[in-house]
Order: sequence, then structure tokens, then C-alpha cells
Amino acid sequence: MTLLGQTVAVAGKDLRIEARGRYALGAVLPFAGTLLVAFGLSLGPGRTLLQQTAPGLLWLAVLFASILAFRQAYQAEGEDGAIEGLLLSPIDKAAVFLGKAAAVTLELLVMEAAVVPIVAAMFALSLGDAPLVLVGAFVLGTIGLAAVGSLFGVLVESPRAREAVFPLLILPLATPVLVAGVKATELAATGRGGQAGSWLSLLVAFDLVVLGVGTLVFGHLLED
Amino acid sequence: MASLTDPDALVAERRSGPEEIAPPAVRLSAVTRVFGVAPALVRADLRVERGEVLLVRGPNGAGKSTLLRVIATALSPTYGSGSVLGFDLVTGREEIRRRIELLGHRTRLYEDLTAKENLRFACTMYGLDPGEVDPVLRRVGLAGAAGERVRGYSQGMRQRVAVARALLRTPELLLLDEPYAGLDEAGKDVVDVAILAARAEGRTAVLATHDRTRGSMATRTVFMDGGRLLPELGAAEVR
Repeated sequence: MTLLGQTVAVAGKDLRIEARGRYALGAVLPFAGTLLVAFGLSLGPGRTLLQQTAPGLLWLAVLFASILAFRQAYQAEGEDGAIEGLLLSPIDKAAVFLGKAAAVTLELLVMEAAVVPIVAAMFALSLGDAPLVLVGAFVLGTIGLAAVGSLFGVLVESPRAREAVFPLLILPLATPVLVAGVKATELAATGRGGQAGSWLSLLVAFDLVVLGVGTLVFGHLLED
Repeated sequence: MASLTDPDALVAERRSGPEEIAPPAVRLSAVTRVFGVAPALVRADLRVERGEVLLVRGPNGAGKSTLLRVIATALSPTYGSGSVLGFDLVTGREEIRRRIELLGHRTRLYEDLTAKENLRFACTMYGLDPGEVDPVLRRVGLAGAAGERVRGYSQGMRQRVAVARALLRTPELLLLDEPYAGLDEAGKDVVDVAILAARAEGRTAVLATHDRTRGSMATRTVFMDGGRLLPELGAAEVR
């Protein structure tokens, strides 16, 4: 079976588990919603301030929610030692990384599709000025976050690692996604989508680097 | 084939490729495995010939699981060296993994998938025909519950699914770590039939179990205690 076929099999398995249990979305959606409502209420009714802070708050919610999703993506592997089955199987270990990243990307995009309209309504954020830039920023940023989370999430299942190190590894590495995502979203929401090209390019470059590095090193992280 | 004038290539071939003359199924030389500072396996020397059924006995914490997981390449040796089916434990682990099956006391199942889905996923991972899933589930007596999520299964049912997964393949080396745990007598018989079939086909099995009523098909017994393999006993002493 090809790397693509193995990747699809791993992603399909993860999405089936998520669809059955709704573990990630069940935790992520209320978390992101509560976070944004709390921010919105604390900032008060000033329309300009809300509009200015909305992109940053939205991406922070996505980042924190994604950490929950990454953790969940590996929980099913650890429950009964299933990750050892993946290790001992003859598949390309890169397929595990890519499959998990694909599944988490889809889960986060579903979450974003639900949260972004709520934020637009609450924070008077314009979605119609540059919709392609907005969609591009979220899709590319989410792929980058999912790749980082899928790469380091496996360490949580390692007997040598501790769960607490996971956010410490993820958060600094996710900073470029956060910055580029916020800037591209801000430009799209203020009718300056045409200026977002460099930020979208940064997201593309980040995705390629993390996906490439992850494909190469994931097998070593999975090994004892 | 490495050139005879190139000693480095010869060494590399010996380390990672199959040995030329009928290599043993397992050969461990002074293998030690340490977790943190605690050694779980201490200077283990072991040779298992092809076609043998080796029974490993010992109390809890003796190091039986660590021994089997090192042989399966799930754990790397901290010190020492060894080969499985002629392939080096470290450099040849992908080759080893294609040829072995480890049935451990953790069943390695996905709780939110059904038994059938778990086995189909295993088929995908190993490039096997998914058409074998239904017959194997019938063989372990789980045909009626094959569409239910594993989360609702008893420990015995989970172990049967794990046994069914092992039966999907015909590995050259079968590693069984407490395979009878949680199984009723009928389930234990399924495991025994699988071991006997492996033995009849000239394949090798290493079985670690506490169950004193099982393991009669073994051709040899070794004992472990405190992470060490003890000197082998004769059949009379074992009894």
C-alpha cells in the first residue's frame, strides 16, 4: 500500500473514532465558545476595540482548542497500547504522522466553521470583504497547527515524556502560525486582503517545513 | 552480496541482513534493558532455534514482558546485541517486524471501533486481505459481537479480538505474553490451537505465561527472576 493509502487509512480511523465519541469537538467547541464570549464581555461594547482584537482572540481560541484536539488524537492510541501496534506494523511511520495531521485539520476546520461566524457576529468582524484570504488563512494556519501538534503529540504517549511538556513544545513552535494567521485575518476583515500575500506565503512555507520535517523524523519519535 | 575485499560491507551485511546459514529464530547476547535506573532485563543470553516453542516462566516483575518486547523490537536493548530471524535487533527491526507477531497482555485495540473495524484496520496496516476478517472472528467465537464497539467488551472478549488479529497472519515468530489472561477455557484452547498450528508448520513461538495448566506444547522451558534468565532446567525438574 502506498504512503497516501496508509495516510488515508490512519486519518479515516481517527475520524471514525472522533465521530463515534466526539471527544475533541465535544471539548473544543464549548471551550472556544466560552473563551470568546468571556473576552467579548470583558472588552465591553466599544465596536472599534472589538473589531481590532477579534482576529487575535479568534486565533488564540483556535490555538488553545487545538491543544485539546492534539491531546485527544493520541489518547485513543494510548488507551490500550494501540500505538505499539502502529510501531510494530510494517507501514511507513510517516503515514501515522500525516494521517493524524489530516484528521486533526478536519476536526479543527469544523470547529472554526462553527466559531468564526459567532465571532463575526459578536465582534462585528467583516467576513465578506476578502473571503478567499480568510479561508486561506484558516486552512493554511490549521494545517500548520495540526502538523506541529501531531508531530509532538506522540511524545505524550512516550514513557519518557510528561504530558506537561506538550504545551511547552507546541506553543513556541506555533507562534509563526499565530502571527501570520492574525495578520492575514485582520487584513481580510478590514478590506485589505490584497496585502495578505506575504502572510499567506509564510503560512505555506511553515506548513511545508513542518510537514516535511515531521515526515522525516516522526518514525524516530515513535520508536522507543 | 558484499565484496569479500570490503570488510566494512561484510560487517554491515551481517548486522542488518539475513545470516546465510539457517540463523536461529532468536539470539540474544548479554542483552540488558534499563528503565530509568531500574534494570528490567539483565544480561540475557538466549538462543531459540527455528521450530521451537519456548515457554518462559517466572513471577510478576521477572522481566518476561520486557524480554518479549525486546525480541519484538518494541523496546531497544540498552546494552548487548541480538538478532531475530537473522536480522539485527536494532538495524534490522523493520525486517523483524514484518515477520513476527506480538500478542501482549495489552490488546492494542481501539476502544471506539468495533472488533471488525479493528481487524480491518490491522489488515490495511499489514496489507492483508480484509476478506479474512469474518472467518477469523468466527474462529475465535466473536462473530455475533463483531459489530459492537470494543469499549463494551469484557477483557476476555478483547483478548479474543487480539488473538483473532494474530490469526490473520502467519508470522515466522509468534511472541505470546500472557495470552491466556482473561480468557475462558474455550478461548485458551483457541490460543493453544494457534501455537500448535505454528509448531506443526515449523514456525517458532515464545510463550510467557503464569498459567501452569497451559504450555504443555512447549519444546523447552526457561525461567526468569529479577530480570535474569535462570539456568535451564530439565523436564523432570520442571515438573
